[in-house]
Amino acid sequence: MEKDENHFSGGKRYRNKDITVYWKPSACVHASYCYRELIEVFDPSRRPWVDMEGASTEKIIEVVNLCPTDALAWKWNDEEKNQDVRADQYNHIKFRRPGLMQDKNSVIEETPVSVKVMIDGPVVLKGDFELTYGTTKKVVSDGMISICRCGVSDHQPFCDGRHRKTGFNG
Amino acid sequence: MEENNNKKPQAIVEVIEFGPLKISGNFIIKDLKRNKEESPGEIWLCRCGKSNNKPYCDDSHKK
Repeated sequence: MEKDENHFSGGKRYRNKDITVYWKPSACVHASYCYRELIEVFDPSRRPWVDMEGASTEKIIEVVNLCPTDALAWKWNDEEKNQDVRADQYNHIKFRRPGLMQDKNSVIEETPVSVKVMIDGPVVLKGDFELTYGTTKKVVSDGMISICRCGVSDHQPFCDGRHRKTGFNG
Repeated sequence: MEENNNKKPQAIVEVIEFGPLKISGNFIIKDLKRNKEESPGEIWLCRCGKSNNKPYCDDSHKK
């Protein structure tokens, strides 16, 4: 199944003795929980940027679970542990396996849109909303976007992570 | 396509050119730095980084 030890579709993987962390850059909205909480493991200025020996497995799991998107996910290396769905729910495993995560009926009709103002970072919007910018008008359905608050993104109106380099305080 | 699906937009998000981000409708804003959570119905968030009332716009972008 696995063509390459370090890659999966659209991303990379990093292992320690217990778990594998999956990194999908295209899904990242720069919410920046990972490096704020655990720079020893997640350091965007280092290559490779993930060092699985930088903290305990428990701490890495805790911080990966903070990621609001699918950009970071994790799975036990021991496949038998991954088979236990109850353990998954207990551990909030975010590696999206079919059947476990596709329960669309659980979405409540009038769920308010979540607007999160990140510390010294962008504003992250999540849910069902109508978005207009420039001449674009679209309906975002159960989606997530990240809007620049510092004014220096090269990808306006969206965040491109530049606030970290310019030291935005907001 | 079902007529009455559960994907009805709950809020209107408008990026105002050379101005703030306007959000109106059914939403909850959580400000992680100032540790505040509210659902005011309508807000204008600063996008230029210059506001003295962050995360809200105070028209500093016009200066």
